[in-house]
Amino acid sequence: MSPVLQARGLSVRYGPITALANVDFAVAAGELVALVGRNGAGKSSLLRALAGLVAYRGTVEHHPAACPRDRGRVRVAYVAQRATPRWDLPVSVRQVVGTGRLDPRRWWRRPGAGDRQAVDAALRRVGVWSLADRPVQALSGGQAQRVLLARALAQEPDVLLLDEPCEGLDAASTGALVDALTALAADGVAVCCALHEIDLARGAFRRAVAVDRTVLADGPAGEVLSRGRVADLFGLAGTG
Amino acid sequence: MTGIGWLTQSLSYPFMQRAALATVAVGVAAPLAGVWATSRRLVYLTDAMSHAILAGVAAAALLGSSLLAGGLVAAVVMAILVAVLVVRARLPEDSAIGVAGQGLFALGVIGVSLNAEPRALSHVLFGNPVTVTAGDVAAEMVLAVGIVAAVVVCLPVLVATTLDTGHARTLGVRTGVADTVLILGLGLVVVIGLTTVGACCSTATRDGAGTTARPVPTAWCSSAATSTAPS
Repeated sequence: MSPVLQARGLSVRYGPITALANVDFAVAAGELVALVGRNGAGKSSLLRALAGLVAYRGTVEHHPAACPRDRGRVRVAYVAQRATPRWDLPVSVRQVVGTGRLDPRRWWRRPGAGDRQAVDAALRRVGVWSLADRPVQALSGGQAQRVLLARALAQEPDVLLLDEPCEGLDAASTGALVDALTALAADGVAVCCALHEIDLARGAFRRAVAVDRTVLADGPAGEVLSRGRVADLFGLAGTG
Repeated sequence: MTGIGWLTQSLSYPFMQRAALATVAVGVAAPLAGVWATSRRLVYLTDAMSHAILAGVAAAALLGSSLLAGGLVAAVVMAILVAVLVVRARLPEDSAIGVAGQGLFALGVIGVSLNAEPRALSHVLFGNPVTVTAGDVAAEMVLAVGIVAAVVVCLPVLVATTLDTGHARTLGVRTGVADTVLILGLGLVVVIGLTTVGACCSTATRDGAGTTARPVPTAWCSSAATSTAPS
């Protein structure tokens, strides 16, 4: 399978600290990848470099022809960890999701029919359609996380990067989120998700990439995260 | 004299007509911009800016040039000072705003007291709608129309960057530019109101009205949610 997004020799430094050194990583359309590693291993830096949000050395190639629908460029959407939207603003869920449609090259443009359809589709996809007109102040943590996912989906991405999306969610919300991600991957979106929940990564994701400043292991989630290897890879206690 | 007659008779004086037009211009532009100051928690910055503007106004008065131009220059200087203190000196934002705002305000007070007419200070702080000239009114109308047009045109970017700056950046929006334009716009609003309602009252018209307006869309949003709940 040819990759949609391919990073070669990727290094990220924050002043004197090396967060990532010489990472090779690629993701193809329809893949559902779990990015695992201890705190500070560079998972977030890898996602941010792939999204073009942090300065890096090395290359990140985009291959639009490898997308199921070649639109001339690879659209990358990124859902940050502990994203801090101003949930106290007097706006509706639909308006929040609608901000995903903003095109910085035509920033004055008002949403058209195509934008409204994309927003509606994103709302349905993550199961928050019934909340569409609710003020965002009235959302629970799990609903808020799904609204942020819907906002990313409104961007109609080819690659979806998520940083710890399950943090602080209960089992039901996590399940709903993972189901939505699985369905997206089945539709040809390349989904790449930084995770701490090893059991979840092992159960729901097909491919796992273990990161600690560089790629330690990359392969089928069952193998990379087999009970014997997890302890070796991270020195994590109590996960095996 | 009837209540209506009392209104129409006073409005037959040209200075009252100018006052009415000037206050309407401020009354429309200030709250429209103020909504963004309150929702981005920039109220302290814009309040400090309205004080800093005094320095520019005082300097303009001493040099005998336009008070509006002096105020504008001071607003820009204030914005640059805060940016330099935050980025270069790594001060926390509120400290930078405090240092820059109060420093310029102190300069302004000195400048005003050097004037032959110290009453100018109260004029700058509190304005006087009945003394505005036709030129002031024209300038204020133009600036007010500009503010309204800018808010309307920039609405999609304003909403996206106010709601979630980090996400707007992932979309490719240059959030630094958006922030700078907004801050300068908020300074401009104070300058518009300078001759009419004064720096202090201009801040109040902007941020007070912005704060009061906040619950309105929420209530509207809630009622829309209950009345048009999707099936």
